Amino acid sequence: MIVFEKVTKKYPLGNFALQETSFELADNDFAFLVGPSGAGKTTILRLILREYLPTSGSIMVNDFDITDKKFVQVEELRRRIGFVFQDFKVLPEKNVFENIAISLKISNISQHKIKDEVVAALELVGLKHKSRVFPIQLSAGELQRVAIARAIVGSRDIILADEPTGNLDPKTSWEIMKIFKKLENKRTIVIATHNIDIVNSLKRRVISLKEGKIIKDNRKGGYDL
Amino acid sequence: MNEILISIRRTPYQSLATFLVLFMTLFLSAVLIVAYAFSHSLLDYVETRPQVTAYFQTNMTEEEIVKVKDQLIASGKVASVKYISKDEAFNIYKESNKNNPLLLEMVSADILPPSLEVFAKKPTFLPEIAEFFKKQPGIDEVNFQKDIVDRLLNLTNVLRQIGIIFFCFLILMTIIVLTTNTLFKISLKKDEIELLRLLGASRFYIEKPFLLEGTFLGVCASFFAFLILSGILFYFNPFLSSYLKGINELNLMIFNLKLSIWPLNEIFLGIVLGLVTLFGIVIAICSNLLAANKYLK
Repeated sequence: MIVFEKVTKKYPLGNFALQETSFELADNDFAFLVGPSGAGKTTILRLILREYLPTSGSIMVNDFDITDKKFVQVEELRRRIGFVFQDFKVLPEKNVFENIAISLKISNISQHKIKDEVVAALELVGLKHKSRVFPIQLSAGELQRVAIARAIVGSRDIILADEPTGNLDPKTSWEIMKIFKKLENKRTIVIATHNIDIVNSLKRRVISLKEGKIIKDNRKGGYDL
Repeated sequence: MNEILISIRRTPYQSLATFLVLFMTLFLSAVLIVAYAFSHSLLDYVETRPQVTAYFQTNMTEEEIVKVKDQLIASGKVASVKYISKDEAFNIYKESNKNNPLLLEMVSADILPPSLEVFAKKPTFLPEIAEFFKKQPGIDEVNFQKDIVDRLLNLTNVLRQIGIIFFCFLILMTIIVLTTNTLFKISLKKDEIELLRLLGASRFYIEKPFLLEGTFLGVCASFFAFLILSGILFYFNPFLSSYLKGINELNLMIFNLKLSIWPLNEIFLGIVLGLVTLFGIVIAICSNLLAANKYLK
């Protein structure tokens, strides 16, 4: 469960990324964050990951107040969150298997379990046959699949995706969204996107942002700004 | 191990620079350790020889000499005093000249002077003890090793002072070079570190590869430094043997444990290797931690 309560994020230069933003995401919710550039979509994701701290307000993630200054389990929190980046952030010197395994290795999981989990994730994203391939040999769509596989392995019950289809063509974007759909009802998924077609077609919860404020929050909404 | 080698291969010049700086520091440290051990053990050796020997005139009685001995003990400046009678002196003479019957025939116990062999508590008491003897009646001659002890004391003090200054400079230089190199390596892995942090990797997990690489280079550099030093020591072994002629062994007391320094032996060299390796590992780990902490702060 993710709860934002009157969260404001002000950057050092004085501009507001978020202003008194409040919303709640239940476990296994599937939500899109939409809005123009600078609306605060990425800021929300980075706040959930505790990469940033809000200027005011509180954020609860899985019953932990992560804005509390006494909160020290940042690493544990991040191990429960999978993050999918627009630019994939796949390590070029590691092969597909190693790129996904890195997400498990940091938790000191046994080699045997790592293998099982990585193979399962590769199967889910349809890249089992390319486990030993290096990133340079993969297409953009395949790289994003690797990033998704890395985000879902282990005990990561929240998946945050920041423009996951931003660098992909429409067909590949749909393939990526199909993977997210497979994860629906198993994990809390928050996707920040500009992709109107996908948002409108999937009819999932849509939180619309503008200038750091939530202007709409529809359960089965579309891209409507 | 594989990851360490890959990292070294990716930044060969930085790794080489790290290795060479560590090697130089560890080699010079090993030289200092050996030089200090030799000078200190030599000092210990000289201090175990009778430091002041007072020869009395042959007409002095044992009672008179024992009286002098008691006065000396009462001064509190001596560790031990040994009385060598005429007969004992003759026995020593016979033992040291047993291969020369002609010399033995010419000397009898009567002509050898009785003596007191004194070991001072501190080398600084030696001149005072010598002065004390010179004032006593019946003294024929006073020998004491002030010059040798003074020279060795000076040598060990100079070695200690130079060693400390040199050591501090070496450590500072090494840490700066190693930290700079590690920072460079970290900046090359910036994206990976950023990703690991976002995935929830612990600080130690991120630092570990740098620490392992530092440890590996530290161990390699210390082994090379030790090998070169051992080669030099064994090359100069004949020269050392002739220089230390007459000295059968040199020992160093460390926490009541006797460590043999000379003749060169495996235990002493093993300890030098251990110290140098430990120093190499510590310095490499400290530098890498410093760099990682600076970056991850």
